[in-house]
Amino acid sequence: MEAVRPEASAPERYGAFSTRIIARRDLSANAFELTLVKPPAFTFYPGQRVRLRHGQNERDYSIASSPSEETIRLCIRKVARGLLSPQLAGAPAGTTMTFSGPHGYFTFKASPRPAVFVATGTGIAPFVAMAASGVYGFTLLHGVEQAEDLFYRDLVQSRAAAYVACLSGSSPASVAHHAGRVTGYIENHLPRRACDFYLCGRQDMIRDVTLLIDEGFRGSLVYAEAFY
Amino acid sequence: MKIYTGSGDRGKTSLFSGERVPKDNERIEAYGDLDELNSVIGALIAALPRDWQDLHQELQKIQSDLFRIGAWLATTPAAPAAAALQPLDPDDAAALERCIDRLDAALPPLTGFILPGGCPPAAWAHVARTVCRRTERRVVRLCADTADAESTAQLDRAIVYLNRLSDCFFVLARHINRRQGIEDALWKR
Repeated sequence: MEAVRPEASAPERYGAFSTRIIARRDLSANAFELTLVKPPAFTFYPGQRVRLRHGQNERDYSIASSPSEETIRLCIRKVARGLLSPQLAGAPAGTTMTFSGPHGYFTFKASPRPAVFVATGTGIAPFVAMAASGVYGFTLLHGVEQAEDLFYRDLVQSRAAAYVACLSGSSPASVAHHAGRVTGYIENHLPRRACDFYLCGRQDMIRDVTLLIDEGFRGSLVYAEAFY
Repeated sequence: MKIYTGSGDRGKTSLFSGERVPKDNERIEAYGDLDELNSVIGALIAALPRDWQDLHQELQKIQSDLFRIGAWLATTPAAPAAAALQPLDPDDAAALERCIDRLDAALPPLTGFILPGGCPPAAWAHVARTVCRRTERRVVRLCADTADAESTAQLDRAIVYLNRLSDCFFVLARHINRRQGIEDALWKR
């Protein structure tokens, strides 16, 4: 995913690293996964981002792999006129680049309240990293247009107490799903109680879900990572 | 690049620790004033002569210190998110004291009240001084309402830092005016 900087004006401590592409695979027609060499000195918490630089352009991407893995995996949406994703989509294995990080504070915080993860599209990436790192028992809503974009479904479903695919498109789907946006599911089906909400994805989703939380889920915490 | 989500359009915002609070919450007031202070310092830096790099660097270090303080102000006591925060370093206030002593040693002794003003960067330093005092008052109020030991310890350090920083801006204003060849304007009864 491509992420904007978090709104909290908090300090960050990070380093600069060189890396190269090990592999690239399509996740769907709309997204691909990039596997990068993980420099030995690079450490991060699940949910954090790297700022990838290639040529003169740089973009933030959430890490979709666990810190214990030997590589870094990024889940990247194909943006036809994007600043970086078209170059990355066409970059062969062996391509070198630099990154800084880890950035951000979108990390899992253990709490007695139930955790509700809400993602749209490649916003699933930080939750994949969390699930791969041992976080479990959460409710995960993944909003996409069509079922082929339910990336990493097997992994996150195996760790979730409840996994809800929210399909907003009209294509027929063979997977169990909620027909419509994540907001519709939250408004009509999610039990009203204080939760820890983690929101990652499109800005309009974050706005709409946050307003629903304000109205119906009093006492909840909201952690958000918006991308553009 | 869009930087808005619109999730604050109905008068609420999220703290760093995740709580949704009204925008007039005392924590928002405190880090809002801190943000204002940081912006005033930015104006001060912009008004300084470009080749006064010693002050540029000193003030940018202060701006970074304020970001660290802001993170604590935006986090409720004992919140899980506090684990991600960098503890405030008591040496940051000590560094301000060294700066004050160094600048003050080269200034003529004070003989009365000084009218805030002089050249533009010195005037900005006085604005920074007063915004700093307001921020300090907000943090004192926040600290009085805090029971958690770790948060109290961090806010105590923030109060010491802001107290010293305000004094630093006073000396800095005099230093800048003197460096520009402008005498202190004394209050005449």
